[in-house]
Amino acid sequence: MIASIPSAVLVGVDGTQVAVEVHVSNGLPGFTVVGLPDTAVRESRDRVRAALLSSGLSWPLRRVTVNLAPSGMKKGGAGLDLPIAVGVLVASGVIDPGRVEGLAFVGELGLDGSLRGVPGTVALADALRRFRLVVPTESAKESRLAGDVDLLTSTTLAGVVAGLAHQEQWRTASRSSGCGGAGPDAPATGISTGAFGTLEDPHTPDLADVRGQRVARRALEVAAAGGHHLLLVGPPGSGKSMLAARLPGLLPVLSRPTALEVTRIHSVAGLRLPPTGLIERPPYRAPHHGVSPVAMIGGGTSGMRPGEISLAHGGVLFLDEMGEFPVPVLDALRQPLEEGQVRVSRARGTATFPARFILVGAMNPCPCGEGGPPGRCRCSPVSRERYARRLSGPLLDRFDIAVRVERPESDELLGPAGGESSSVVAARVARARRRAAERGVGVNAQLPAPALADLAPMSRAAVAVVERSLRSGALSGRGLHRVQRLARTVADLEGAGAVLEEAHVRQALVLRPPRELLSRGEGQ
Amino acid sequence: MSGVDPEQACAAALTGLPEMTPVRLAALLDGLSPLDAWEAVRSANHPGDPRHRFTPAVRATDAEAVGERYARAGVAVLLPGRPGYPAVLAGDPGAPAVLFAEGDPTVVDGRPRVAIVGTRSPTPYGQQVASEMAADLAGVGVVVVSGLAIGIDGSAHAGVVRGAGPTAGPPVAVVGTGLDQRYPPQNERLWAAVASTGVVFSEAALGTPPRPRVFPARNRIIAALSDVVVVVESHHKGGSTYTVEAAARRSIPVCAVPGSVRSRASDGTNQLLFDGCSPVRDATDVMAAVYLARASAGRPLDPVGAVRPRDRTDDGVEPAVGRRLSPIQRSVLDAVDDTPTTLETILIRTDLSIVSAARACDELADRGRLRSGAGWWSKV
Repeated sequence: MIASIPSAVLVGVDGTQVAVEVHVSNGLPGFTVVGLPDTAVRESRDRVRAALLSSGLSWPLRRVTVNLAPSGMKKGGAGLDLPIAVGVLVASGVIDPGRVEGLAFVGELGLDGSLRGVPGTVALADALRRFRLVVPTESAKESRLAGDVDLLTSTTLAGVVAGLAHQEQWRTASRSSGCGGAGPDAPATGISTGAFGTLEDPHTPDLADVRGQRVARRALEVAAAGGHHLLLVGPPGSGKSMLAARLPGLLPVLSRPTALEVTRIHSVAGLRLPPTGLIERPPYRAPHHGVSPVAMIGGGTSGMRPGEISLAHGGVLFLDEMGEFPVPVLDALRQPLEEGQVRVSRARGTATFPARFILVGAMNPCPCGEGGPPGRCRCSPVSRERYARRLSGPLLDRFDIAVRVERPESDELLGPAGGESSSVVAARVARARRRAAERGVGVNAQLPAPALADLAPMSRAAVAVVERSLRSGALSGRGLHRVQRLARTVADLEGAGAVLEEAHVRQALVLRPPRELLSRGEGQ
Repeated sequence: MSGVDPEQACAAALTGLPEMTPVRLAALLDGLSPLDAWEAVRSANHPGDPRHRFTPAVRATDAEAVGERYARAGVAVLLPGRPGYPAVLAGDPGAPAVLFAEGDPTVVDGRPRVAIVGTRSPTPYGQQVASEMAADLAGVGVVVVSGLAIGIDGSAHAGVVRGAGPTAGPPVAVVGTGLDQRYPPQNERLWAAVASTGVVFSEAALGTPPRPRVFPARNRIIAALSDVVVVVESHHKGGSTYTVEAAARRSIPVCAVPGSVRSRASDGTNQLLFDGCSPVRDATDVMAAVYLARASAGRPLDPVGAVRPRDRTDDGVEPAVGRRLSPIQRSVLDAVDDTPTTLETILIRTDLSIVSAARACDELADRGRLRSGAGWWSKV
């Protein structure tokens, strides 16, 4: 007898519907899975058999063939366990085919017959929207994020089989138990998804912990408000990582569509989601410089996994010791930085991952770390220049802001903790972002150059300041647009009007020192 | 061939042999003329080369062709006791057995000579002092010797070149590379200027690339050429240490320019002062040291009186003119110390807003009181 059960697998961050066809026939007892299964799917043979037996169901002593259609596409993940098990039961006549009509299944089986959640349930549920969906209870919250899906949940395979016999009852049970995370035999979970908008998170580090660093603080605030990429240059111990870790706390809560996108990516990557199921806070990713290109960009041999740049989508990607990252990894960042997404192409297929984040780079000024003002460091000029060249020009150009961070002086460390807390700054940032949004452009960092004349006109005094920098060579013609965008953000932060004043431009110039910030000082 | 002196050709060819070092070369030429030494090595009969290390290379080399190559490159081959070889080096224990020169090698004789050396990573203060001191010394006819490296060396040569005149002391450089290897590339124009008005010496054969060990060896020649060695800025145990040690071995006085005790670029010089070297503040102080050194060496100089500082406006820096400074400008200027100061430090010291501090810095720069670097400010 034959059964066809709808399910889904992940391709990138999206789900794709697949049909699990099970054929049970006379012949030598055996179990074959065909249709480009990956290792996890092939192993599901043993899990499914054990789970059926543990659940008190019988295993057909006949020839069982499972085909995953469409058969041209590689299928991965343990989420096909449940549909295979149900298919075997239907094909061997244990379950009446009519009872699984219009149902789709996703879930991993334990040897004891329990049901486990699988990564990326949001995307899978989205792909199976037109079916009534059976998922493990632990994936219920996530599945619900896909929107209006009709869910049936259970914690065991036996629960699914029992539920199929009494579907109306099961549905009511699933729905009536709060967010619906319960099969007939499952305890009510009672998770509320209505608690959006809470900002308080005791684990987010606060800006008030940072002593001194007025220029760097300002840089963080402007970066948060305008979505500008930020480069921090300073000796070891000057607090570069400390500053970077405080940037997510200045960003506003994610909008609902972005939050869904971010949740989807994190879910696909198998990362832990917050108790509400939805990631509302901007993520913060700080990969070590040993990261491989695939881990950074995305891809992988079995299925396409999102890389760090996509896990940082909507939030902050912090690259400490940027000069230590392999050059291919850094150069691979350039295109995603420009487009806000990354297209990963492999022989088996192509996946597009969103990747719009604020890049924060941190670097020592030179190999010995002491560099900066001339006379302080002892590196040879050649090694300093070689160090500076590790960031290619095009990558360096992506940074709108570059500031020097110095070690705080001792009386600053001992003095009273000064400076505003993250919540005060975040409020200003949120206001500035609203102003920018009113102009119809997402963030100021993305203001197109032709629009600058209209959206960021400069007063006469401001033009004079810019002219001076242009003439002295401190500012290139190309840098001019960046200064305008930065000044626009500064003006938004201060609640100023449409015209950029001299003070705004000056701050922008302070935040964007020339490119030689990294290279050697002035030699002869 | 015509025009190429066989002695000079053989000397150049010996210097250019693979694995040749100044010490080995001195051993080969000890008591033998270059031509005799060449023939002795070729016939595997040289007492200074008992294992015939150089014999195969010598047999494979056409000395005459080497001599022609030097002649074509305009590089003079100087041998001790022959015209052109600096007289001051003649009695020196570490004198190079063969010295190459681009320019006029005779300029070093008959004039007082001062070496101005220091770190390759100086502060603007060190660069200004080196440049002014060198210009002032050259202005009273002193030969300023340095190494054409970037940093203090380059500033010193630049000062001499800028102060060039009929009575001025010509610039003298001693480099570590072959004279056809103009290193570092940033100083290529400076090198050409020194060679055209003074002389560039090297003991390395043509084609010798910059290697770490050639520079300390070069420093001994700088010391040996000089009446007085002045260290302008030096890091702790920096490269100037070799020059100072070479000078000390020859009883040549070493002077140091005092710097801020907080400036790392002055660590080495301040240590020299602590150890008893004479402090020098300007060219006049250096001249006093030169008189003392020449008098004690039995070669007294005619006094020239105090060196009159040259007009600083020549240096392209506008003198501060016009209105008095505003209180904000004054406090920003006070917040910038002798070492380059970042805006962050200025903010801490003045408690001004970012905007007003940045504005004051720009205004002070326009008035020639501050100089902006890559993210920091220094006094002019």
